[in-house]
Formats: sequence, C-alpha cells, structure tokens
Amino acid sequence: MKTPPAPAIIGRPTPRLDSREKVTGRAVYTDDLKMPGMLHGALLRSPHAHARIVAIDTAKARALPGVKDVLTGADLLPVKYGNWRLVPDLQDETALATDRVRFIGDEVAAVCALDRATAEAACALIEVQYELLPVALSVEDALAEGAPTLHDHRPDNLSLVREIDYGDVDGAFERAAHVQSDTFQVQPVSHGYLEPCSTVAAMDEGRRVTLWTSTQTPYIVQCLLASTLGLAENDVRVVKLKVGGGFGGKMELRPWDVAAAAMAMRTGRPVKFTLSRHDELAFGRRRHAMTLRCRTAFAADGQILARELDVLLDGGAYNAMGATAAFLCGNFGAMLYRIPAYRYRGRYVYTNKPPASAMRGFGAPQALFAGESQMNVAAVALDMDPIDLRIRNAQQAGDVIPGVAMVRSCGFIECLEQVREMSGWAEKRANATPGRGLGVAGYSFISGGVFNWFDTKYHFSSCEVRVFHDGTAHLLTMATDIGQGSDTVLRQILAAELGIDIDKIRLTAADTAHTPKADLGTWGSRVTLMVGNAVRDAAAKIKDMLAGVAFAEYDLNQIHDIAFADNRVFVRAKPKRGMAFGDCVYKALRARRGEPLTAYGFYTPRNKGLVTPTFSFGAQVAEVAVDSETGLVTVQQMYTAHDCGVPINPLAVEGQLEGSIHMGLGYALSEELVMDGARTVNTTLLDYKMPAAEDMPPSESVEVITADPEGPFGAKEVGEGLVSPTAPAIADAVDMAVGVRVRDLPITPEKVLRGMGKLGD
Amino acid sequence: MTAHASFEHHRPDDLAAALGLLAELGTAARAIAGGTDLVPQLRAGKLVPDHLVSLNRITELAALTTTPEGGLRIGAGVRIASVAAHPAVQRHWPGLAHACTVMATTQVRHMGTIAGNLCNGSPCADTSGPLLAAEANLEIASIRGNRSVALDGFHRAAKDVDLSADELVIAIVLPPPPPRSGGSYLRISARSRVDMAAAGVAARLSLAADGTIDRPRLAISAVAPTPLRCPDAEALLQGQLPDESLLAGAASACMATARPIDDVRASAAWRRMVVGVLTRRALTGALAMARGGAS
Repeated sequence: MKTPPAPAIIGRPTPRLDSREKVTGRAVYTDDLKMPGMLHGALLRSPHAHARIVAIDTAKARALPGVKDVLTGADLLPVKYGNWRLVPDLQDETALATDRVRFIGDEVAAVCALDRATAEAACALIEVQYELLPVALSVEDALAEGAPTLHDHRPDNLSLVREIDYGDVDGAFERAAHVQSDTFQVQPVSHGYLEPCSTVAAMDEGRRVTLWTSTQTPYIVQCLLASTLGLAENDVRVVKLKVGGGFGGKMELRPWDVAAAAMAMRTGRPVKFTLSRHDELAFGRRRHAMTLRCRTAFAADGQILARELDVLLDGGAYNAMGATAAFLCGNFGAMLYRIPAYRYRGRYVYTNKPPASAMRGFGAPQALFAGESQMNVAAVALDMDPIDLRIRNAQQAGDVIPGVAMVRSCGFIECLEQVREMSGWAEKRANATPGRGLGVAGYSFISGGVFNWFDTKYHFSSCEVRVFHDGTAHLLTMATDIGQGSDTVLRQILAAELGIDIDKIRLTAADTAHTPKADLGTWGSRVTLMVGNAVRDAAAKIKDMLAGVAFAEYDLNQIHDIAFADNRVFVRAKPKRGMAFGDCVYKALRARRGEPLTAYGFYTPRNKGLVTPTFSFGAQVAEVAVDSETGLVTVQQMYTAHDCGVPINPLAVEGQLEGSIHMGLGYALSEELVMDGARTVNTTLLDYKMPAAEDMPPSESVEVITADPEGPFGAKEVGEGLVSPTAPAIADAVDMAVGVRVRDLPITPEKVLRGMGKLGD
Repeated sequence: MTAHASFEHHRPDDLAAALGLLAELGTAARAIAGGTDLVPQLRAGKLVPDHLVSLNRITELAALTTTPEGGLRIGAGVRIASVAAHPAVQRHWPGLAHACTVMATTQVRHMGTIAGNLCNGSPCADTSGPLLAAEANLEIASIRGNRSVALDGFHRAAKDVDLSADELVIAIVLPPPPPRSGGSYLRISARSRVDMAAAGVAARLSLAADGTIDRPRLAISAVAPTPLRCPDAEALLQGQLPDESLLAGAASACMATARPIDDVRASAAWRRMVVGVLTRRALTGALAMARGGAS
C-alpha cells in the first residue's frame, strides 16, 4: 500500500504568525518589560586584559542615593559554570570576577538602582585595586615558552585538544600526485543580532526566581542559574519573550542573568539589565578566529586520498562553547567529500581577549573556507574544472564517516549540477572577462547535535499536545523561536499530523515552568528535526486516542485506517464515514469520563553516531566584479542550490538563505572585530562593517529535495549551513577576476591590491 | 555610556531670536537642525551642552533657491535629501547631487542639513568636497553682524571650524557654474551604502573655446584632518589640453596633497592610492560632462 502523500500544509509558504506584531512594533521583547518597583542594573567591567584583583571598595557606590544593591564576586557562591557540563574542566567562568580578570570587559561588579544612569554612575564609584599581570594576546603568544597562564588548571593555556585520526594518512601523502598545502586565517566577527542581550529577574512564590531573558536556551539557563545560585532547578523559572536574533550568541548563562537574579533575591525587587551595542561589540561573544593549516593529497585523476588539518582556535579568556567549535571544525574538515584518510588536530587556546563562542555554522565556516578554497586551488593544479573535481569526490547517501556519522540523504551532486546550470558556469568560466569572476563552493551542516555535552537527564526535545472538543489544539514546548520561525513550523507539523487548520493551534513556548522538560534550545539547526519529531510523537498518541472513537462509532474491522484531514476524522478508505475533529474529541472525552486528551512527545537521537541525525548539503556560485584599481569587490549575483530535505515552510527557508548570504557576504568582504592589542576597536555599527540591505546582491536559488528518513516529513537543516559557502565562493571568484587568491578573511580592497602587486606593505 | 546630562531646548521662531540666544548663552549652547551628528555625540557624552537652540521653526533658513545670476543659495535648514532632489542641483552641481544621494542613510538624508554636515567639522563630510569644488561661500550671522567667508579655509583642523559660539551659518551660497563646465564627486567605502567615506574626490572644471581646461577645482575628503582643495593639481590642469598624462599628473598631485592616516576604516597607503584613482575618474567624468556628453 502506498504511503499517503504529505498534507498540503507541509511545503506551503506560511507567513510567520508574529510578523505583523513585529513589523508594527507591538511585539514584546525583554527590554520592553516594566514592573512595579523595578530596578535597573549596570555592570562594572575590567579595564585591563589580565590583572589580579587586590581589593574592591564599594562603599562610595553604595552611598550614592538611588543605589539599592552592589554585587561583587565575593557575594556569590564560588561556582564555575559553562555549557559543557559533561566536562567540568571546561566550566571555567564565574559571573563576577573573584580574584582575577582575564579580558578587557570581564565583569567585576554589578549595581542596581532606581534608574540606569544612577546605576552607571555608581559603577564608576567602585574602587578596584588591580595588580597587572602579563598578557597573552595571540595564540602564538599564549603557546610560547614562558607565556603567562590564564587558568591555573591549564598551565599551557590549552583549554582542550581535539584529535581525529583514521586511515593511512602518511602513506596517502607519499603516493599522492598532487599535494595541496595552504594556511588560512579567519577573523573574529560579531553575531550582529538586532536585540542586545537583556534580562529581567523577579521573585515570586516566595522563593522562586523568574528570569525573562533574551535567550536561545531557556532550559540551559534554568539549570546553570540554579546551580550557580545554589537553588533547585524547580526554583528557577526562565521565560523567553520575543528575541531579536541570536545566531549562537545567546545560548549561554551570562553574568547579567546571574546578577539580575541574585539582586532580585537580595532586594526583593525586579531587576533589569540591558546591554548596549557598544558592550555587545566591545566585550561580546564572537566567532572564533582561527589559523588553519590544511594539506590535501590528490591522485592524478583528482581523487582525494587524504587530508590533514591542523587548527589553532583563538578562544579568548574563557572556554564558553569553545569545545564544540573545536569538534565541529574537525568534523567539517572531512565533510562533503569521500576522504579515506584524515588527521585533525584542533588546539583551543586561551588568550586575554573577549571569549569566542557559538556562532552560526560553529566551526564549519572556518573549516569550509579552508577546505573549499583548497578544492578550488587544487582544481587549477590538477587542470580540472572545480565543479567536476567536487563531483568526482562528492559524498553520497549511505556514505559513512568513520566513527561519527552516516550520510542518510544527500543531494550534493545534484546541487553542484544545478549551480553549474543556473550560473552559466561553463560559458562564463571559458570566456573570462578581466575584472569579472565566478567562483564555487559547497557546504554541509548538521541537523541538530547528538553529543550530550550539556549532560541533560531529559529527552533532547519534548512537547505536550492537548486537544479540545471545540476542534482546537494547544502545543506546549520549550522550543525557542528567536526569529527563525520555529513557532510557525512546529504548528505546521502539528496541523499536518492532526489534520486541522494551523489557526486552530495555540502555542505556549519557552517557559520552563509551563512547557515539558526538556528542550536543549535553538542551536545546531536542531529545532525542526528534533522538536518536529517530538510533535509527531505526541500527535501520534493523540490520534491513537481518537482512532478508537471512530472504530467504535463506525463498527470498523481492524484492517481499516483512520485519516485526519480537513478538520475531520474519517475512515481512510471511506472518507464519507467521519466526523468533525472536535466532535471526535468530544466523544473521546465522554468515553474517558472527562479526562482531558493530552499527550507528551519526545525525541532523542539514538544510534545516529556522535554528530548529528542527518546532514544538509548545498553548493553556491558567486559572481563578482573587482575594481582592479581600487581593489573593491562587488558581488553581482549569487546562485544557490541546497538540499535541506523537504522544506516545511518555503518562506522561512528563503529567509534563511537571504540572511545567510548577508552574513556570508560580511564574513567574506567587510566584517572583522579589529583588535588593538587586547581592545576591540570598532564598537559601533558604523565601524563594524556589516553589509547594509543595499549591499545585498540579487540571488537565485533552487531546492534540491531529498526525502530524509530521519527528519519530520523529510525536513533537514537550513538555518546555518548556508553561511559557509559564500566566503570561499567569493574568494574563488576574486581569484578568477584578478588572479589574487586571498587566504585570510576578510577580502579587503587592500589585500586585493597587495595581491596584484599594486600596493606595498 | 548612555548617560546624558539634561539640557534646555529652545525653539526660536525667527533668526533674530536664535542669534540672540546664541549670543546670550555662548559656549553653553549648541545650534541644532537635523541633529544627525549632534544627537549621537550627546548620547555618547562627547558633548554636554546646557542648551540646544533649534533652527527648525525658522522658515527663512529653510529656503533652497537659485540666485538671479544662476547660482544657488542653500539655507541652513535645508535637508540633504531636498538638495539631492533639486533639479538645478542635479543639472549644474552633479557632484553635490551625487554626494547628497549616496551619503549616510535615507533617514539621515531626510533629517540632516548641508550646513550641519559642514559645521560638524568632520574631515569626511561628503558635501564638503563638491562644495569646495563649486567654490562655495558661507553666510555667517551673529548679533554682531553678518560676514561671508569662502568654504575653503572654514575647516581649520579636525572638528574645528571658523565659527564663534555666537555665530550661525545661515546659508551656503554657490556662484553660477562657468559655461561648458562639468563636475563629479566620487567616494569609496567598505560598504557600498550606509557608510562613511574612506576617501572622496570632487572635481569641477570648464572648457575654454580652444578645448583647454579652465578654472579646474579639485577637493579631497577623508584623507587629511580637514577637507582640502588641491591647488597643485589645479595649477597643473589650468590652461592645458586634457589627455591621459595630464590627468595622471593631476592624480599624482592630489595624492601628494593628501595626508591620510591609518585607521580602522582603511590604511593610509590605500587611501592615498585611491585618491589618485578617484581623481582621474572624477576628472574624466567632469570632462565628459563639460563636453556635453553623459554627465
């Protein structure tokens, strides 16, 4: 018997249910919260990159009229926190410094007062006596003999070393016809989310602290805040309101969360902290700067024989989510192609700079800038078309990556063929025009992570579905919509399963007191696949409850199947025999003597390796014009073909594609947190060069649809992977246009002119 | 960081009242029109005036008019976007029209004024180059009387202009462009839009009957502590028949005039090089326009 086709709501372009609210300014973000008696917080940060705190005197700050509380590290439990709960050594951060500061901006004290100006004035009155310590500002400095140690438990400044080794790497390099060997540098960049971090804490229930915070991970914040303050998890409630983007920058417990909660407990009044754009750029989390030494061995026919990737990750002063970057950079060093032998070493180095952490792509943009640039350079050496070279080596469904994962579905080759066709590749590459170029790159990404670094005791994703006799349903989940549209996609999935209209579904999300434990949050492009599967699980249980009603009602032989569609419950083979969905719930309620119809659904990846349940793939071609006199690069057109499985909401997929090109464009050409020693120089959006809307190139895209066996209705990742190919594709196009191969991002006009020999150092 | 002291906001209805306030309040006051440069400085605590004197109710400052002899008078209250949209500006001062079209953002262009762009004293003010090339004069008023000064020399140093605390720039006046003239302004920045220029070059010239260059004017911005005229390049071009090597010579002269610095936006070496490229291109554009080709 045939599988019934997917319901029409799957794949239907569905506008975000909150878009009108957001566009008209009525959406409520954390900073919009105002509460009776609410106090305003400010943070005192370290002006030094590395120093011992000799003494802190808060007397003058406390004496300032309007100041209600001053908090220092001595007022908090000596508990270190960090997302990698599974490896306590990687939890190396305290909310407020106790004895040492390790970067300019390290949080030293917090003040709350009747208004923000008073709180800031009070911070300036706190007297901190520092004893300066020697600094390590680069990975090279930090690893040098006699370098100052940032953390006593890591005297060599190596937070962690991740190694992967399989196959006969050395033998492969010996018999290679061509060895491509390059060193790449990638810069630190900012997430650039529109909403700066904001948090409000208030006491209720006598002893429970409620935290409204702009987070991607309410559950992680709940657990870590509880352990940091010595509370039971159940005495911490975390609520997410609307969030103005995260991109990985809002997935940790942060010092202002702890300070707000601690001061709300101490004062009995609500306390709010909201960061400024300056704080975000000067001190905020950032994408890891890396130095990547990459060697790839090729046979004469272009077959990849082996790869060796050695990476130094500039972690900054604390580990944050750094271990994941070191792991994923290693994984994505060997993705996309069949690489029989691979050796990776990623060294995560502490430096006296603001910590790097999770950011969209998380290790993949760096690894793929190196790997995909190498494919393009090697194609020239091998005298092969770079798309042909990729197809020669491309991964396919069923491939196994030793020790980590299996490729369950894969449209990579189709994507490469599609961008070749769309972009007019063959003709444009054959008839080169000076100053114009076309370049290609591919990508792959995870659809959620398998490795349980947070050491959760709960399912990775959970939800509850309640159905009512008025024909509506209520979906409760910790899934965290930070603007990517998961609240809409999850409703689409539930609507498809229950066969009811999407507007009949109410949703309560991301409130740890009201939504079932647990969901690990929004990161790793996990929500659609993992929470989507949990929703399907819960819906299946609800349908089991309702199917029995139909069987009894119509006296059905058990070979029959019950269908749910068009707000009806009916016999699949005899659609006229059926009833309204609400009526079916009504009859079930009667049969259950009033017990409500509710079901929990869960998802935890099992037997899916250690990386991800399934991978997305794609390819991109960038077409650029380079001004050979000024070095300015203008991206004229992007062509993208990607395999995100079955797109559930094509509008959301398109939004991710546009946003990824925007982010990739900045990474490739203009964005960089410029450091002057330990200090971040460009702390305004005027000088931090995120592309503007007017810089966006036109873009064409096609979906290569693979029905993934693991994703709900065949869906896979779409939120992050697409940020990776843009930079290597642009770098390749620049090389074709003016013969300059830039191996260190961003590709500034000056680097182009230097490469052309037109500008001295 | 975000704390800003309180100030008194005055909204005089006419120029006399505004000048009276400026004379009375002295350095404790700042004049404000669009506020697009001033307000960010207030918010950052870089300026702490006790008084702001708004020019926005003074209708006589809001006029953008052509003069009987064919020049242009831009009142101090005229918004950048109005200048960009004015047909006479588009026709006779294309460099200025271009600057007013590409600078800053749509919102800033609809709030900000030309006078504010100049009085802010930034070396990278986009309108400064084309106005210098157009030989603009400033009408400056105070209760002590009015004076007219050339824009060339108004910028004394970075963030320092020739204006006393009691004075107000009330208009920018452009003389009529010479016959058979053309102009151009080119700028470059890391982002194509919504960005400050990393370097800018403005050119204006006319062609004599024999085809030689007359009254060439070149100005560079964002490459020295102030916007600068380039007298050496101008002297080199005066009375000459334009050709490739002449333009290259003028480009080199402008590069020599530039005194760029290394900063987060660009290096000095690249800025100097780009001044040469933009000079050649701006002159080429101005020449084409003077010859009656594409402007």
